Amino acid sequence: MSQGKLLATAIAVTTGLLVTAGTLWPSAVAASYSGGKTEGILSSTSTPEAAVNDLAAQLKLHALAKAYSSLANKAEFSEADFERDLLGIGLSLRTYATLDSVEVRPLHQSTTDADLTMKMHWSSVVGNFDDTRDVHAVKVGNHWALNWPLKHESPVPPQVIPVNYLEAPHVRIVDMHPLSRAEGVVVMGELLNEDVVPAFVSVKATLVTKAGETLDSEGSFDMISHTLLPKQVTPFIIHFPGTDLSKISTINMEPTSVLVSASADPVVEIENQRYQEGSGAAVTGQLTNQSGHTVNVSHVLTTFYDANGQVVWVGGQYIDRALQPQTPVDFRVPVPQDLAGKVKSERTVVSTYIQGNS
Amino acid sequence: MVAVAVHLPLLLMQLPLKSYDTNFHIFFASHYAQHWFDPWNPKWFAGFSQTTYPPLPQQWTAILSWVLGLNLAYMTVQFVGILLLVVGVYRFAELWVSPRAASYAALASVFIAAEGFLVYSAGQLSTTVAAPIYLNALPFLFQWLRHGSWRSFLKAFVLLVTAAAAHHVTLIFGSVLFALPIIALAWMDGRDSEDSDKVSAPALVVRIVSIVVAAGAAIAAVLLPFWIGLIRYPVTQTPIAHASRANFLLSPEAGINYFVVPYGALILALPFIVIRGSSIRRLRPLLIGFWATFLLGLGGTTPVAPLLLGRSFNVLTFERFSYWATLLCLPILGQVIVEAVDRFRLKALIPIASLAAATCALAVAWSTYKPADASNLNVDSVALWLNRDGHDHYRYITLGFGNKLSRLAMQTHANSVDGESNSARMLPELTQFGGAALTSSKYFAKPGLDSLRAMLNHADRYGLKFIIVRDPYYDPLLYFAGWRQVDSLDDKTITIWSKDGVPPALPMNAAEMPTHFQGLIWGTLPVGFSLLAMLVVLLPEKRLRPEHVTDAAYTREHLVSGGMVS
Repeated sequence: MSQGKLLATAIAVTTGLLVTAGTLWPSAVAASYSGGKTEGILSSTSTPEAAVNDLAAQLKLHALAKAYSSLANKAEFSEADFERDLLGIGLSLRTYATLDSVEVRPLHQSTTDADLTMKMHWSSVVGNFDDTRDVHAVKVGNHWALNWPLKHESPVPPQVIPVNYLEAPHVRIVDMHPLSRAEGVVVMGELLNEDVVPAFVSVKATLVTKAGETLDSEGSFDMISHTLLPKQVTPFIIHFPGTDLSKISTINMEPTSVLVSASADPVVEIENQRYQEGSGAAVTGQLTNQSGHTVNVSHVLTTFYDANGQVVWVGGQYIDRALQPQTPVDFRVPVPQDLAGKVKSERTVVSTYIQGNS
Repeated sequence: MVAVAVHLPLLLMQLPLKSYDTNFHIFFASHYAQHWFDPWNPKWFAGFSQTTYPPLPQQWTAILSWVLGLNLAYMTVQFVGILLLVVGVYRFAELWVSPRAASYAALASVFIAAEGFLVYSAGQLSTTVAAPIYLNALPFLFQWLRHGSWRSFLKAFVLLVTAAAAHHVTLIFGSVLFALPIIALAWMDGRDSEDSDKVSAPALVVRIVSIVVAAGAAIAAVLLPFWIGLIRYPVTQTPIAHASRANFLLSPEAGINYFVVPYGALILALPFIVIRGSSIRRLRPLLIGFWATFLLGLGGTTPVAPLLLGRSFNVLTFERFSYWATLLCLPILGQVIVEAVDRFRLKALIPIASLAAATCALAVAWSTYKPADASNLNVDSVALWLNRDGHDHYRYITLGFGNKLSRLAMQTHANSVDGESNSARMLPELTQFGGAALTSSKYFAKPGLDSLRAMLNHADRYGLKFIIVRDPYYDPLLYFAGWRQVDSLDDKTITIWSKDGVPPALPMNAAEMPTHFQGLIWGTLPVGFSLLAMLVVLLPEKRLRPEHVTDAAYTREHLVSGGMVS
């Protein structure tokens, strides 16, 4: 073979081999654009874990139709049901959330079926939320397919429910104290709207050192209920990561409030609220939307108190599904394990966002 | 004339304004137009230095804008880049193939999709200006290496420095990929020529070292503020996702965007390019240079780019490698066309011309089929709002404004904490997470949204009071984070959110602020070298084409004319 032909052949063959290698074993970066499958184009669903990862890759790419068609139990529900389960009914945090990562934990496996826990970490505009599903995998021929544990959520038509609108700022911090944590300092407390009009509130804290220098200044951001009706109280917590409490002599609190129009609608009732002690201590309960229309996003804030009524911790959770009228939705607000033993009581408030009402 | 006929109407229609980066370049130019010797620009990132990006095309845009206005000035500079490419490809191709084949290569350069893609869809002015200048420098570099002509040395030197002043990535990667085949060619030609014209290996090495040292020293001086910034503040930010790093087979959408469109019908010619490039001994260095660049341009489709580039793989974007690969293969393509036309006449010419036209058309039209986010948004009303009632005493960000972020920054007096230059930003809220511009946070999923939340959390620190939203996706975050909707524009398609208690924005005392001396260098040397280049290339020079590059002089191994296409 001439040199030229040899060179042409070498280039063609090497290119082919390189493309094959890059496709069968893509780099992590290249794989991230195809849903994170590092097994490449020949990735198979030869194990139950691979089947879950394959499904996760489709979900990351928002390829819901493809994900649905891969399910073993797809005859039990429609693709629309599957989409509603993942994206929620109506606008909610799930609607535009993206699947960030997935943890798979095998529970049991035989030659023909397996049970796994699939913990999905979703990223939404207000933060991250997790969705854990126990999936059953079945062997179909030489590959594994999943039975998707569909969570049914029925759409509820808009309802007319009478509400009392209130028109209505003098605000006051009624409780505040700092706490030293491994990740830094937190400042938490409660803010009262003592006026007869609604107020839109925020709290800013500034840490001052013993030498009188300003160390840091942070705001409550979303860990506060910003809209307060008259006489309403909101908890707040402000994080100062990487800060040492021992260096601080003064904390200047700066609540701000402006008059806004607000109403008690929508009313979201908190039911079955219970504090669960022990490992994974948390407040659990259910939210029920008592208004006639859908609440797109709701944020639960819980204040945990000790025996003396002092604030021990303030935690929060966004509800990833929209609140349909009269349809209870579970919530769970955890408390750090080292503080759980001090908790003697708790109080929960809910902030709501309705599309178009902001 | 063909370049004029194809590209001038498109540029007069200002088609590149729809592209991703055009407004970015015009924004930089607008600052140079008003503050020539002060590269510190307070309008983005609470203040940033424009010395983080080589200035030449933007500075020429600024100069021309004093007469033509910014948009037309940009189009003019881009048009000059296109014309320089045609000339550069011809002169570069002449080193490798016959003048006739070089003419076809130059003609093909008008239609290549990679150029159309970068000009009309990506808006990469600097890349598309720097590469043609390098191509024009390479024949002089060859003459210097081959014959030791001092005039060629001078011309190569000035053009290389000018090209470096136009684009840093082309300097660091492109220049090497272009220059290595030329060095190999000079070595092969020198070795094979008659005794009187032989170039010894030591002489060649001395010539290579002398041009590298001279050009390197001058580039160091001309871009001194850029290097100072790079050394003091190296790019350590979390890499930002870019689909050109994908495996194009596993991610077909990226494959279409970064392979099918930028190469177009050239994909069909690749086998012929490889066959012809390898069959003619002289073309082999060029073929290997093209192949290496082609593999790099495939991004994550092969392991080559991740392995060769290491961490740089996560920082670079690879559409420009495809562009360089296209330019490198044009001489061989010219030769392929000559042989096809000689053998099949019109039967070859008509399909080749049709495919070239279709390739160019698809690349130009791509910005319409895959438009940049918000490409049709008019930001006049937003600029008017920011400029009135003291709103410009505070900083702002936009959400959902895509590439119109730069356009808005040009029109308003208000300053922002956001911006489009990923290498220029220093604020930790922007660099720690791996999101690009805040205005497009949602497209970067968790990293983008984490970055946005961090910035909103520190709004007071930066005097960030206003958020201008064109995408209701972000409304829940703003609502829960304590921002209130205070106004709306354009039939409520744009809402304005405000936060109470935010102090007015104060200028940042950033350590990255260039000194007055650096501003002086930045304002004089890059443009000065480009003016010098224009004068120096006019110096007459004896034409020293490689003697044996004629239609009949090819020594192909075991190939008869037309054998390749049969």
